[in-house]
Amino acid sequence: MLEHENAEPRSPERVVVIGAGGFVGGAVALRLAASDIPVVKLTRAEVDLLAEGAADTLAEALKPGDAVVVVSALAPCKTATQLVENVRMIETVAAALAQVEPSHVVYISSDAVYSDDANPVNEESPAAPSSLHGAMHLAREVALAASLKVPLAILRPSLLHGAADPHNGYGPNRYLRLAAGGETITLFGEGEEKRDHVYIEDVAELVHLTLAHRSRGVLNIATGISHSFRDAAEIAVAATGGGAKIQGTPRQNPITHRHFDVSACLKAFPRFRYTPLETGIARTVESRKGES
Amino acid sequence: MSQPVIGYAGMTHLGLCSAIAAAAKGFDVECFDADGERVGAIAAGRYPVVEPDLAELAAQHRDKLHFTAKPGDLARCDVVYVAPDVPTDDCGGSDLSGLEALFDTVSGHMSPDAVLVILSQVPPGFTRPRVRPDRMLYYQVETLIFGRGMERALEPERFIIGCADPASALPDAYATFLARFGCPVLPMRFESAELAKISINLCLVGSISVANTLAEICEGVGADWSEIVPALRLDRRIGEYAYLSPGLGIAGGNLERDLATIVRFGEELGADAGVVSAQLRNSRYRRDWVLRTLASEVFAQRPDAVLGILGLAYKQDTASVKNSPSLALVAALGPRELHAYDPAVPADSVSGVVPAKTPLDACRGADAVCIMTPWREFAELDPKALARAMAGRVLIDPYGVLDPAACAAAELEHFRLGAPTTAALAATRREDAGT
Repeated sequence: MLEHENAEPRSPERVVVIGAGGFVGGAVALRLAASDIPVVKLTRAEVDLLAEGAADTLAEALKPGDAVVVVSALAPCKTATQLVENVRMIETVAAALAQVEPSHVVYISSDAVYSDDANPVNEESPAAPSSLHGAMHLAREVALAASLKVPLAILRPSLLHGAADPHNGYGPNRYLRLAAGGETITLFGEGEEKRDHVYIEDVAELVHLTLAHRSRGVLNIATGISHSFRDAAEIAVAATGGGAKIQGTPRQNPITHRHFDVSACLKAFPRFRYTPLETGIARTVESRKGES
Repeated sequence: MSQPVIGYAGMTHLGLCSAIAAAAKGFDVECFDADGERVGAIAAGRYPVVEPDLAELAAQHRDKLHFTAKPGDLARCDVVYVAPDVPTDDCGGSDLSGLEALFDTVSGHMSPDAVLVILSQVPPGFTRPRVRPDRMLYYQVETLIFGRGMERALEPERFIIGCADPASALPDAYATFLARFGCPVLPMRFESAELAKISINLCLVGSISVANTLAEICEGVGADWSEIVPALRLDRRIGEYAYLSPGLGIAGGNLERDLATIVRFGEELGADAGVVSAQLRNSRYRRDWVLRTLASEVFAQRPDAVLGILGLAYKQDTASVKNSPSLALVAALGPRELHAYDPAVPADSVSGVVPAKTPLDACRGADAVCIMTPWREFAELDPKALARAMAGRVLIDPYGVLDPAACAAAELEHFRLGAPTTAALAATRREDAGT
């Protein structure tokens, strides 16, 4: 649950986005710029968080009182080496923030911190990750919370989709690419698993609202409506003209679902509305048409 | 023995209902509260609580009720109950300081031959350390239900009496008083009696949690919980009076206090109280049912929707708003136009709402109406008149106060706890069409 330091929203004077070159960081920077909020976009080109002296380099880019959004991660985290590197990156961030105190920090985590069977997931669900990716985010959350004296908001998004997604993970983005190319979409089993798919611009808007309210605490980023992968595939096919085929495969693993109780988001931001999956996919199709 | 005089210390909900019931049973009753203003108001017939029949019974037996702010007046009593309401915090913790102070006051002024009875709910282990060789001390389980306070005080199902030694007979004055109610008297160890009250409440919470869990499943699979409940009530192991109505979590504070107490004891003793933690979690989750329904059925289309709120009290027939789902909803909705009405809670005492004079006034021009307390007055509303007054068509009626068929005839979209959602109904219709 988030608590707002600013009951009425107020734009931060300047926001530094660490990891602005990625899918989420890029969307956040765009959203803040749209509200004329000064944004410093840091990518690996400006600061390599694993390089020697990176904390000093990062500190030089910061001003006291900045709001800082921490997105940068080596994701997905699948090996022990990647886990260690991700934790080292947050060590660098914490060291820099100890040198130059910010006014507010927003950490973009993941719903992978929750146990697989926590349904419906809410912010009070125990964090009990079953994956290295979840363990990595949880370790970074705890490390940041332990080192910061200023308000920290931890946002835990569910699965994300949107035009700029660089990953080709199982879900709407891959389905759209396949459907647009007229290729068959192959599902695990019959695609029965239900997941909560979030449109990237909703993440950016929630980060913007969290910054404006200078919120502290934990908030999940999830729509509250879970779709089966088959439904998501059918929406993608329909959005691209309806020509592509969807094909099931013999099931290898048990069916698992994930649902969210989004009451905390409704209370934190009563006027915010999530983009329905159909609308988000349609926007991605439109934006890709614009690119091509 | 001659007819004993009974004293009650603490003229809040529990003490007042109990004192009036004692007078109604024919006993002279000394009613003490240190708050002189409160005592004056009650003596003048202005009662701090809303309970059916309370004012009438108090008037009828006025000659047997003596209200006082002087603790010395308790000296003429043969049995003195210490009965203040025990406040609870947001986490279900009890603040026992008021009870402890009143206990000391009463102890200092009552006759040494009188029986001292703690009636307020206390956690296991509270009473025994207060036993003194020169004091006859008992703990009696209260089973007050808000909205049925007088009925419960006049016709208890049984008396559960905590004793230092349950093998010893109860003092004559106390036994004479209890016998007048004509119900079983169950003496037991202090600790057993203290835990018996919690045990009763946990059984109720168990039923409520089952009802709430299954109501949600009903909503998703196209079943209707109201059709299932009569079948459960005919099962002897469940019973006619089982708590099977789904609700917006566990409101009121007292049940939550008992859950929190057991979780705390579980932690201290190393016992597995995980099932109780799950019930607390489910309660908090179900409390937001209306908010989630509004988000998906109203705000998704109209973010600035105007709402009518019918009911502010935590349940019908009471003015108590402790842990009220209605107030929690109002707080969660943020700044927006809300019109509210409650028969007992003045709407102008709730910030963020526009008070309405009648239920229909609260609904006029509303995009959606939420019936948050199942007052009988709301059941008498004509769905067609409601639909005419509203601008929108969404009626969120968690307790099913209004008849679903009449609401459908009035073209209202009627959302009830445990009733199939529109999507679930559509799915069953598709299956009907396919067969």
